[in-house]
Amino acid sequence: MNLSIRQLFGRKPKSSSIAKQRLKLVITQDRFDVDDRVMTRLHHELAEVLAKYFEFSANSVKMDLKQEGNSYILVADFPYTKFHETNMRQ
Amino acid sequence: MGRVIVVTSGKGGVGKTTSTANLGTALALLDKTVAVVDADVGLRNLDIVMGLESRIVYTSMDVIEKQCELSKALVRDRRVDGLMLLAASQKNNKDDIQPEQMKAICDKLRTTHDFVLVDSPAGIERGFSNASAGADEAIVITTPDVSAIRDADRIIGLLQNARIEPINLVINRFSPQLVGNGSMMDQDDVLDILNIELIGVVPEDSGVINSTNRGIPLVYEDGSPGAQAYMRIARRLTGQRIPIHNFEQKGLLNNIVNWFTRKK
Repeated sequence: MNLSIRQLFGRKPKSSSIAKQRLKLVITQDRFDVDDRVMTRLHHELAEVLAKYFEFSANSVKMDLKQEGNSYILVADFPYTKFHETNMRQ
Repeated sequence: MGRVIVVTSGKGGVGKTTSTANLGTALALLDKTVAVVDADVGLRNLDIVMGLESRIVYTSMDVIEKQCELSKALVRDRRVDGLMLLAASQKNNKDDIQPEQMKAICDKLRTTHDFVLVDSPAGIERGFSNASAGADEAIVITTPDVSAIRDADRIIGLLQNARIEPINLVINRFSPQLVGNGSMMDQDDVLDILNIELIGVVPEDSGVINSTNRGIPLVYEDGSPGAQAYMRIARRLTGQRIPIHNFEQKGLLNNIVNWFTRKK
């Protein structure tokens, strides 16, 4: 309704609302854009912890940030070859 | 013990130095003791904006290099009681100062002043780390445009990581006319994006250019909308509760125009 009235008056969407929309999008990206060095550190620390429980070859590990709608997901693949059962009993 | 507040923005040219000069002067006019510190080593400007450029003898660099005592390097503003300026060295660069050295200066200044306002250089590099090293609180200045707001968001993230709190926002160069016709984001839009506490809105004021030309901060001549806005911010900094001024134009004609042209 609102839109059609505005169209009747020949109004384009206000540039301030376009600015806000674009800013929201780009700032969400900025906020979630993780520094490569931080990702490498996280990678090492995760591998260190997981190595206590699993056996895996370091070069098969993959880590990635994925965007789904408005949220970001950290996806880490650690394909393991063996589970250290001894640690389970401690 | 005084409060150390860094005035910063990320983007240059949004009014950090003008705001530091006016807020420092405004706080002094409210009977507070204030030290304003120029942290823009190599590109100093707070002295000229405040009209004190001819009286600078020593800088923070001389204090750090133990060429003079801190008290001797402070320039007293004779127009108001309790206002001092510590200038930045113009012949050095930002890497010549360590964050710990700036912190030491701020910590010393806070023993003798109610407020220490540090004017940060633009950017997120060394100059910013130096300026924020000794700060407990921050004032982030932005203008209502996309680049300034994006940079403000980046700076806010860095300040949060450094555990600087509270972080208060000043929206500078606000134009009620442009907001009214939909070409400028209003304060709610900006707050919705940045999500921090708003401490004041400073309207676009042609008096600012005249006051910088003369070296007389706007707040000395009250009456202008900009001066009043800075005085309100200074009062809020001292803990007074003053509602945020609404600059948006009201009136029947405006309401009718806004109804037809309003944003989604």
